[in-house]
Amino acid sequence: MAEQVTYIEAISQALREEMKRDEHVFILGEDVGIYGGAFKVTKGFLDEFGDERIMDTPLAESAIIGVGIGAALVGMRPIVEMQFIDFISSGFNQVVNVAAKYHYRTGTPLPMVIRGPSGAGVSGGPYHSQSPEAWFCHTPGLKVVVPATAHDAKGLLKAAIRDPNPVLYFEHKYLYRRIKEVLPDEDFVTPIGEAAIRREGADVSIITYGAMVWESLAAADSLAGEGIDAEVLDLRSLLPYDKEAILGSARKSGKVLVVTEPSLSYGPGAEFAAFIGEEAFEYLDAPVRRIGALDTPVPYSTSLEKEYLPGREKIAAAVKELAGY
Amino acid sequence: MARKKVVGKTVKRATSTAGKIPKLKYPLKKKDFEQLYRFMVTTRFYEDKLPILYRQGKLFGGVYRGTGNEALAVGSAYALEPQDIIAPLHRDAGAHLVRGQTLKRMYCNFMGRACGPTRGRDGNVHHGDMSINIIGMISHLGTSTPLAVGAALGMRMQGHNIVTMTYIGDGGSSIGDFHEGLNFAAVRKAPFVLIIENNQFAYSTPNRLQFACESLADRAIGYGMRGMKIFGNDVIEVYQACKEAVVWARAGNGPVLIEAETMRMRGHSEHDAHEYVPKEMLEEWARKDPIAINRNYLTKHKIFIVKQLDKIDEEIRREVDEAAEWAESQPFPEPESVEEGVYYEGEIPGDRRLSWLSR
Amino acid sequence: MAQTKVIMPQMGESVAEGTVAKWLKQPGDKIEKDENILEISTDKIDVEVPSPAAGYLIDILIEEGQTVEVGTPLAVIADSVDESAAAKQAAPPKKEKKAEKAPEPEAAPKPVEEKPKAEKPAKADEPVDKRKFYTPVVLRMATKHDIDLDSVDGSGMGGRVTKKDVLRFLEERKGRAEAAAPAGERAEMPAMVLDGSEEIITMSNVRKRTAEHMIRSKQTSAHVTSMQEVDMTPIARYREAVKDEFRKQNGFPLTYMAIITKEVVETIKEFPNINASVDGDKIIVKHYINIGMAVALADDTLIVPVIKNADDLSIRGLARAIYDLAHRARNRKLTMDDIEGATFTITNHGLFGSVFGTPIISQPQVAILGTGAIRKRPWVVGGDSIAIRDIMFLSLTYDHRIVDGSYGGRFSQRLTERLESWDPSRM
Repeated sequence: MAEQVTYIEAISQALREEMKRDEHVFILGEDVGIYGGAFKVTKGFLDEFGDERIMDTPLAESAIIGVGIGAALVGMRPIVEMQFIDFISSGFNQVVNVAAKYHYRTGTPLPMVIRGPSGAGVSGGPYHSQSPEAWFCHTPGLKVVVPATAHDAKGLLKAAIRDPNPVLYFEHKYLYRRIKEVLPDEDFVTPIGEAAIRREGADVSIITYGAMVWESLAAADSLAGEGIDAEVLDLRSLLPYDKEAILGSARKSGKVLVVTEPSLSYGPGAEFAAFIGEEAFEYLDAPVRRIGALDTPVPYSTSLEKEYLPGREKIAAAVKELAGY
Repeated sequence: MARKKVVGKTVKRATSTAGKIPKLKYPLKKKDFEQLYRFMVTTRFYEDKLPILYRQGKLFGGVYRGTGNEALAVGSAYALEPQDIIAPLHRDAGAHLVRGQTLKRMYCNFMGRACGPTRGRDGNVHHGDMSINIIGMISHLGTSTPLAVGAALGMRMQGHNIVTMTYIGDGGSSIGDFHEGLNFAAVRKAPFVLIIENNQFAYSTPNRLQFACESLADRAIGYGMRGMKIFGNDVIEVYQACKEAVVWARAGNGPVLIEAETMRMRGHSEHDAHEYVPKEMLEEWARKDPIAINRNYLTKHKIFIVKQLDKIDEEIRREVDEAAEWAESQPFPEPESVEEGVYYEGEIPGDRRLSWLSR
Repeated sequence: MAQTKVIMPQMGESVAEGTVAKWLKQPGDKIEKDENILEISTDKIDVEVPSPAAGYLIDILIEEGQTVEVGTPLAVIADSVDESAAAKQAAPPKKEKKAEKAPEPEAAPKPVEEKPKAEKPAKADEPVDKRKFYTPVVLRMATKHDIDLDSVDGSGMGGRVTKKDVLRFLEERKGRAEAAAPAGERAEMPAMVLDGSEEIITMSNVRKRTAEHMIRSKQTSAHVTSMQEVDMTPIARYREAVKDEFRKQNGFPLTYMAIITKEVVETIKEFPNINASVDGDKIIVKHYINIGMAVALADDTLIVPVIKNADDLSIRGLARAIYDLAHRARNRKLTMDDIEGATFTITNHGLFGSVFGTPIISQPQVAILGTGAIRKRPWVVGGDSIAIRDIMFLSLTYDHRIVDGSYGGRFSQRLTERLESWDPSRM
């Protein structure tokens, strides 16, 4: 099948295939059934799987997550959908205090996925554009994955569903219909905790994830003409993250730029930069630099949002500066 | 006798004819009566020992007791079938015992020993055990409501006809999860029973500062589910009401909300002298002590004589002392094990209701 | 002698201390277990403290009115009164919290002269001479390769010496060194013929270096090559069965080389003298095992990246390392670190179809193993039967100055044994 599949179609495929593969898998969330999901990810699922396995819930994020946890405790494998990941904060307590700590405290596994669209660049304003991964990366017991390609959107979602732990799956709404790839026919899983090199280079390493992978690639392409050879490492998983891959890239170039979409301060980038500073110090030929969004809520107006977000120009400028250090 | 108007049938107080085991809607045999009494007394003695151990430095953190709540915890849990699932709270030690948890394990959890249900990772009353269908609580009250709803729905989806039961306090009934969870349960007609243990105080906050409606049971009307209001210190009445609720829910009629009136006879925790509780209130409720009420019932109906009950008390006192001593002798978890168990590794075995604790 | 201490309990998570309000028992009194023996007072509540044991109160350590930290011993209870005398000696001296602090040491005498109040300008404001600013990687490489950084030109910001500058310096230095090394006797080049029937190709640096190394090696070591036949069938069968899944799971392939390398490493452990180098009249046996893997590049040149500490890696780890090094070799992304320090080399000449080889030792090592192509052959098995088996020949070249025929032969034999008896539990 040489047909190209979009990032969002890849998500639907993964959901459908896993629902078929294991009858314990079920989806619950707002508007997932009758409406097929706010972004139509579960269009047609209600007819195919029925209204118990495709559960249209009341508007109650904390209960939705709590119900998912209860169901997971007794043998089901729930996929909780947050209509926008921004709303996960309404159920924050259930995620970080119940789900995350459950196995550590009791020895009972809690297999569940919480997924939803995250990310900015679509004029969503402060409440439809967040990338809150840092809150959850800082919570032991959870796993956090962030696919950047259609291939990984499918592979990581399958891995998340099959993982016996609570996994947060942040799909980037900007990438939903902007990426198209040909996917393998056979069943495949992208392992959690493994990064992928998207572009090899030896001058500067860009460590990044999500939509910023594409911005970084664009930046790298624009610099190739100037003789700067940048490597782009797509982390794919934030918790756990691929320490070996990061170190390998850092040691190779000695110059590292960490690019993340959420606000710079206290973001995931700080973790990677600190890690590189500790473990690859003797290989560094320049200070480790980070790029992130400004330390403000995500603004609504296009002119403001553009200024707020990192992008290819800012990334290219930083890479160039590092290369010349 | 005042009966509050709530959705669904009201529950009659159990009346009796002296000398015979009274006619009950859900009959109890002599061994059931003995079990109910035993569980309540065990709860009382188990909890009475906790502050002593605490002041001897053998327990750490906080000590929470449910003195005065024994009838409610025991009577409600007793109404469940073995395959049902329960999620008790901190005043419901009796419920853990009814469902099969052992005194030894409960003391081990308080003492942070490696052989306790949480292997020292969580303390005092935060223990559960999925192998005997008990979901353990966490400190954030209200979180267990959606969990119990989810467990009910999850089991139903797998074709099991079970009921889940959980509890909340008058204080806890103010939190979002309580409302979200009840609503969810009612919409989905979950086989679920929620018992509000209205013991008049949430820490130092009296009912009048906690809610404005006349009766917490009336919230059932708001959520479109069956509600009941009962007296929580009579274990027989509690059992009858909860059995009715469980039968109702199991039959597919939807969830049931039960408000039980009782009294928190001690402080919120061991270091709370609860001076904010009027003395007269405590005296009034002391006259309604659940174990005393039950003793009276049993002797009045000649189910047991005082000497038999006293003998049971002695046996239990010994049991409790032995369990505490045993727990004291158990080892603490190895420091090196602290990072184990953050994630579950490997495949989950087919039958999810087996115990995961390999220790 | 059984003694139990009564300690100040913690009445609440935030409570750190308590005050002894009243002793309800006196030394010498008989005590029942759980009987209240004193009253304490804390921020939150006043309570009685029950005795943790039955016996006799033999010593009161903290008096009424004193405030102590949680966990402080307050009294001692013993099995019997006779122990009270011995216990009194053992009991810690009465301490009062306030008096616990040791007296302050004498303050150091004030310096005679006062430092001027005006501070020197902060270092951060002074411009840093970037030419002398060396980053961690630059310093490390300079130390390792004994480079005087003053003599390196800096192309970085402000004239800084960068990692690239150091790498360039090393290349040039190596080139100069080799140019100065004595060349072996060469036959005279024939006079050039300029009629188009011959082509002149200038040797690249890599070519020159390879040529030098090869001839020097032959002139240095006493090369002897001996061959062994190896039945690789168990390994081949396993690999066939799992290679697709392995590749999918790991992103890199499970090659024969990974398994062979593992067995070579294990055999080296039994024959350590083959993992050595020569220095004058000394044999330096290495206790670390760095395996060089010969990789042919697209332009037919040869490079030998090194798997460092190969004995620390599992077969999977070796497979990953081989894949990574080969990949980087072909993309010219190897670092100096990657091509130095081998203690034993494996060359897979079988990749090009040959079954036997006579590989040349990579100096200053004392052996090199060539692996031939694996071919299906009719073979004698189980005494008298014929079966089709996957057969490979090993060609081990060793330096007869250091390694005798029997040692080298036994190494080969042992390696063969290990490969032929291989089973998947070694994964």
